[in-house]
Amino acid sequence: MAAHHKILGIVTLLYLLLFFMHTIYFAWRKEKVLSLMRGALYIAFGLHTVGIALRWIESYRLNIGHVPLSNFYESLIFYAWCIIGLLILLRKRLAHTNITFCASLIALLLMGFASISPSVQKNIEPLVPALQSNWLHIHVATCFIAYAALAISFIAGMFYLVGQKRIMPTKETLEEINYKSIIIGFPMLTSGILTGAVWANYAWGSYWSWDPKETWSLITWIIYALFLHARTTRGWKGKATAIISVVGFVSVMVTYFVVNFILSGLHSYAT
Amino acid sequence: MLQKEEALQLNVMNVIKNNRKTTEPKQKKGIAETLFDLFISKRLSMLILALIAAGSILGTIIKQGANESEYLTVYSEATYRIINIFGLDDAYHSLWFKALIVLFAINLTLCTAQGLIRFIKEKRQTDIPEFDRLSKMELNLRVDNERKEKAIGVLKKFYRLIRDENRGLILEKGIPSRLGVFIIHGSIITVLVGSFIGLVFGFKGFLILRVGETKDHVTARGGHQDMITLGFALKCKDFKASYYPEGQPKDYVSTVEVIEGGTIVKEKDIRVNDPLYHKGIRFYQSSYGKKTSFLFHVADEAVALTEQEPFQKKGLALMVVRFAEEIHNLGPGVQIAYLEGDRPQSRWFLLNVEKMKSQVIGGVAVRFDEIREESYTGIEVARDPGVFVVWTGFALMLLGLYVNFFTYYRRVYVVSAADGIIVAGYALKNKEAFKKEFEKLKEDIYGSTP
Repeated sequence: MAAHHKILGIVTLLYLLLFFMHTIYFAWRKEKVLSLMRGALYIAFGLHTVGIALRWIESYRLNIGHVPLSNFYESLIFYAWCIIGLLILLRKRLAHTNITFCASLIALLLMGFASISPSVQKNIEPLVPALQSNWLHIHVATCFIAYAALAISFIAGMFYLVGQKRIMPTKETLEEINYKSIIIGFPMLTSGILTGAVWANYAWGSYWSWDPKETWSLITWIIYALFLHARTTRGWKGKATAIISVVGFVSVMVTYFVVNFILSGLHSYAT
Repeated sequence: MLQKEEALQLNVMNVIKNNRKTTEPKQKKGIAETLFDLFISKRLSMLILALIAAGSILGTIIKQGANESEYLTVYSEATYRIINIFGLDDAYHSLWFKALIVLFAINLTLCTAQGLIRFIKEKRQTDIPEFDRLSKMELNLRVDNERKEKAIGVLKKFYRLIRDENRGLILEKGIPSRLGVFIIHGSIITVLVGSFIGLVFGFKGFLILRVGETKDHVTARGGHQDMITLGFALKCKDFKASYYPEGQPKDYVSTVEVIEGGTIVKEKDIRVNDPLYHKGIRFYQSSYGKKTSFLFHVADEAVALTEQEPFQKKGLALMVVRFAEEIHNLGPGVQIAYLEGDRPQSRWFLLNVEKMKSQVIGGVAVRFDEIREESYTGIEVARDPGVFVVWTGFALMLLGLYVNFFTYYRRVYVVSAADGIIVAGYALKNKEAFKKEFEKLKEDIYGSTP
């Protein structure tokens, strides 16, 4: 087994550990656990980064060098990395145990799915002709940064809807987190769609061909556009916007998973 | 304290909002006016957007472009009738979907134009507030006479002065942030215009070239399968598919020549992700394969025929309808269909049987010479004069998003007091960032220790 596989395996275990640490913290509420958790999060993210870097280096050793953003497995790993990265980058705003709990749980699920599911090809594959383009990096990176920010908005929206008063951050904070993450996610999603369109024009001969992935990304985009407009022009707040952000993320998940496995299309190499 | 500050901000907002309120006397509206009001409403925009999203979902759930029997295996006859009536088998090109997009474009254009006109006409509040009000704002700062000049210098460096009176100053920054929304909406209109230009003046086609073959026309995509003349010819000199050691495809390359009036004007390797561009038309590597062609001599002229491809010469119309590798132990042969007068006839040609190799059909001598396996390349052809408009729209959209979400409007007031000046400011959004900025101003005025 290659080193990057081992390291990413350890990272997955660290996210599992983080999950347990959160549950221990929820039961005991000891400050010590909190600082341990913070430490574990940094170590996990650091190792995660190392794992991705090693996989990148390894691909060059195999003479098929490319950024590890080229298949479903690599996208899962990168998605988890983006979520945790965002958590660390915005630690001042997102330092609520409920948020970090859910975010690391999502990271754990992504990493777990990547390593356990037999349908996920884990090996480093050479780039097929369609993917041999510099647009690959910017397109995939912007999309997954967007997905990560939208995952955080989903967490905030969910807590807004189902959370109890005592343990969560205040409703105002949740709403703020929800809105701020969409402010990151929406422009990033737009960039992802636009870079995809430009790339498609060079690779497939058309910037828009109603491929299921394109279509679902447009649907997602429309949902978040509606969120922003409902908020500013119609003054929607609280529950209503929380619901839209949850629906929006369901659409993200359809774009990412359902389209890959059920609807075939031009993006088929992403499975 | 906070209430006062909010009141002041509301005051500024009110000036903006008051402008927005239409103060027309209440009259009975005509149909045209009612329609106009409907088309310009933001509720309609949101409804249309939601409908476009819903329609798009249908298009991904129902298989697109399949034939009747395929649908009938999945759906009942009644459901299929609905699919047929609403064109759900090609949802994104159906009339209702196009109508939604046109409606959206009209609505968006009207809304954007209206907003822009209001923005330009808007009279902004530029009264200098009283000292008391400023001292009650959350972000305020007293500066003594000694540092007064320096403070004003710092402020002028940071902000744009919009009012300068004895009693005080008004400075501001970030006016463009309010343009963000117009830039974004304008960019969407630009993209729609660009795609419309592409639809009207462009085409999409397909070209199959055998190695060595030259063609000057392509088959149009879409229902009619018309032939489109390029105005120049394309010759495929070579096609190569290469593979990684493990067998995955590595590279597909068609080497082509562009021929104009008999001379080669360009030569290029077309790869996936690296199309050929010539006279506004792009050629994309799309597919490849092997095709069997049959070499014949028709009245002393060498021709290459492929299965199901009609050939016409000297009043003789013929086509290879079937190919068999082995016929009754007599070797390979092809069945040729041809017209004798108006009556369709068919005859077998066998490569290894002399009597059946050369035959006379329709009074013309036809000889079957050779069977050849030839590789061909499939090239996607597109002419889209609107694409640069679309790119402009994309660039504007990213610019607009940046301006709208990551810049913000703020205003700073300076009012003279007995012992110096008071500086106070507020931001319409992104208040936290402005707070930091205000702290920085303090530092600049007082040095590193405030």
